[in-house]
Amino acid sequence: MFKFILPHSLRQAGILGMNYRNYEIIGKNNPRHLYPLVDDKVQTKQLAAQAGINTPALIGVIDAQFKVKNFLSLVKGRKEFVIKPAHGSGGKGVLVIKKFTQNYFRTASERVLTYNQVYQHISNILSGLYSLGGRNDVALFEEMVHFSTNFNQYSYRGIPDVRVIVYKGYPALAMMRLATQESGGRANLHQGAVGVGLDIRTGQAIAAVQHNQSVFQHPDTHVDLTKLQVPLWKEHLLIAAKGYEMSGLGYLGADIVLDQFRGPMMLELNARPGLAIQIANKKGLYHRLKEIDTFPKNLTPTERVDFVLAQSKDKN
Amino acid sequence: MLKKLKSVRFYLTLALIISFLFAAFSIYYKIRYWGFALEPKELTNVWAIETHITFKPTGDPIKVSIARPNADNTFKILDEDVVAPNKYMVQFEKERVILTNTAQQKEQDIYYRVLVYDNKKGKGKVYAPKPEVPSPPIFDEQSQLIARQLILEAAKLEGNPVQQLIKLFAQEPPNETVMAFMPKRKSAKNTATIIKDILSFQEIPARLAWGVKLSEDKKSFSADVMLEAYLKNKWEVYNIETAEKGIPKNFIIFQHGGESLVDVEGGENSVTKFSVIKSISTSFNMASHRAKLLGDKNWFDYSIYSLPIAQQTALKWLMIFPLAILVVVIARNMIGIKTMGTFTPMLIAMALVQTGFLPGLICFALIIGIGFAIRLLLSKLNLLLVPRISAVVIFVILIMQFFAIVGYQWHLDIASSALFFPIIIMAWIIERASIIWEEEGIKNAMKEVFFSVVVAILTYFVIVNPYIRYIMFAFNELNLVILCLVMLLGTYTGYRLTELLRFAPLSKDKTDV
Repeated sequence: MFKFILPHSLRQAGILGMNYRNYEIIGKNNPRHLYPLVDDKVQTKQLAAQAGINTPALIGVIDAQFKVKNFLSLVKGRKEFVIKPAHGSGGKGVLVIKKFTQNYFRTASERVLTYNQVYQHISNILSGLYSLGGRNDVALFEEMVHFSTNFNQYSYRGIPDVRVIVYKGYPALAMMRLATQESGGRANLHQGAVGVGLDIRTGQAIAAVQHNQSVFQHPDTHVDLTKLQVPLWKEHLLIAAKGYEMSGLGYLGADIVLDQFRGPMMLELNARPGLAIQIANKKGLYHRLKEIDTFPKNLTPTERVDFVLAQSKDKN
Repeated sequence: MLKKLKSVRFYLTLALIISFLFAAFSIYYKIRYWGFALEPKELTNVWAIETHITFKPTGDPIKVSIARPNADNTFKILDEDVVAPNKYMVQFEKERVILTNTAQQKEQDIYYRVLVYDNKKGKGKVYAPKPEVPSPPIFDEQSQLIARQLILEAAKLEGNPVQQLIKLFAQEPPNETVMAFMPKRKSAKNTATIIKDILSFQEIPARLAWGVKLSEDKKSFSADVMLEAYLKNKWEVYNIETAEKGIPKNFIIFQHGGESLVDVEGGENSVTKFSVIKSISTSFNMASHRAKLLGDKNWFDYSIYSLPIAQQTALKWLMIFPLAILVVVIARNMIGIKTMGTFTPMLIAMALVQTGFLPGLICFALIIGIGFAIRLLLSKLNLLLVPRISAVVIFVILIMQFFAIVGYQWHLDIASSALFFPIIIMAWIIERASIIWEEEGIKNAMKEVFFSVVVAILTYFVIVNPYIRYIMFAFNELNLVILCLVMLLGTYTGYRLTELLRFAPLSKDKTDV
């Protein structure tokens, strides 16, 4: 059942290990003092607005326990909304409410919560339950993304998003994460979501994995994953590339969703993006990063995206 | 970038090598000069012998000469000191301590204290130069006759000539010839002197030896006399009553030859009493004395071994931490095991050391299990995080209390070991696990708990080893090596063991896909 391979063949395949990522890539490209910019989603939103990047609109912020009871007035008149911890990571503590009344709230994953449960959830966010380091946090209310109907078949209930790894401003690798029944509507690969590696130039599917195993169909909807093509790919890349100037991080993961009406929007930036993207792409990051080291410096985001798109296809 | 990394790694490697060399030297020094052992629990008997001399000054200048124990190979002197009234001049000579003072009026009390320890390796060897042929004692004719008679009678007894004579003198009822020869006041010293004289008469070199029998907590006794005779090219010691050959166990000779143990000039009615206190000492305690003898007492004073025992015990516990930390670092960064919190496994391991392995594990599982159940109930109450985790902490305390009481009443070690687990850590494990359960399913929650326990068990087996614990305490400079090693591991950019599994599908050689 367990199949190990030798470090040598991993190195040949150019796989980036966790230690190498932490020490060589993150340690040397991501200055610590920039982390708060991306760890705090409120700040990220403001920065993104300055950089001209679309993000889901902010409805409001609840930053104190006594304000929690008024949360309904915050979302009054809306059909749907999303609650997030400002310092959350990995989709922890995100509650997508797509329909609600005074007492009942239906989530995107078709769970029905009572008022008390939602109240409790917001309290938990404030007390830091979902946050990095467990410190006190604020709860973010933002507009729900209307996922492009393009992806309806590709995801089970949840939120499909595109993760682009950006190294020194250049898009390096990309994947799309599809929620499954097993992942409970979440897009986290370790919970059983499907990762689809995308060609960085075209946004076309290269390979798909679930639990480290190759798959060709979505396990729930059985749609052919090899046909997946992300529309507006260049716009996706542009948002990701702009994340570099916006945050100053040399190595980052940009999470982008495609809204039916507003086009690609940046959900968040991640200063420590995971390595599972290599599995989804069936390709190591290492050689790609070394390649990018040789790319020209001081280009604008648009120039960088064009540079990547102009690369010959068989390079990697 | 690469150059910079190389230099960081270079300096850390250099630091590692230097710390290693330093530790090696320091360990050598501690073993060689402070007498540290490489094995734990090597105990040595240390005897404190106190010679207490009291006398009345006669009005003349005082000179007190006290025999120092013979620092032969059987016992070694660790420490000695003299406690005397002011104005005494103290001189340590090779075999004696000389105290001098001007004339005094009041009764004088002088203490000479010496600490000796067993030198197990040197047992049974008494080296001494070959003595000259003794000049025969001056016996009158009658004495000569009796002496010859005695020698003849002794020859019928068993043993060598010395033993024969001692046995003859020890016979009960006393031999008539012996009676005739003995002075009226029979004492061990007199007997020994006479036997010595008769031996000299036979041209066997002999002398008296004064010493002290070391036995536990003996107070106020006089020195014992032994007979030493030179036969077959070596001095040997004989018990004056049993004729047994060899230095008895735990007998320390203060002086060979004729002089008395204590000479007092300028005093009268002097009384000399000995007392002995035995203490069992580890090599640490002795190290202080040895360091003092070496003249690097100051150096030693700033080592942890000069601290009070209570603090040493606490430090002994602390000194094992770096090793446990190293295990955690290796488990996380080289093997790649995901654990709950960085040092949670280490703290669980620490608790396991105190509770014992199996009882501890069972108890841990019970506390976590019950805590989990309670936490499930709590989640229904919609409490805020801090009060909720506080409630879990209190519940954990109550569970522990319950276990402790039940364990005591039912005589179950398992239950009473509950008290050793760090409460806050337990509560956090419960809280974290139940959050993961809610968020990512019970499988992930159990996985994290499981791997934390695996690392804890790994750590446990490293730190529970008494040998390792002893080494880490006795040679605490090893912690410096660990420190450098941990820092060097901080630059390790190779794959983690688990990544070899995780990324296996990406291998170019697709044999295993």
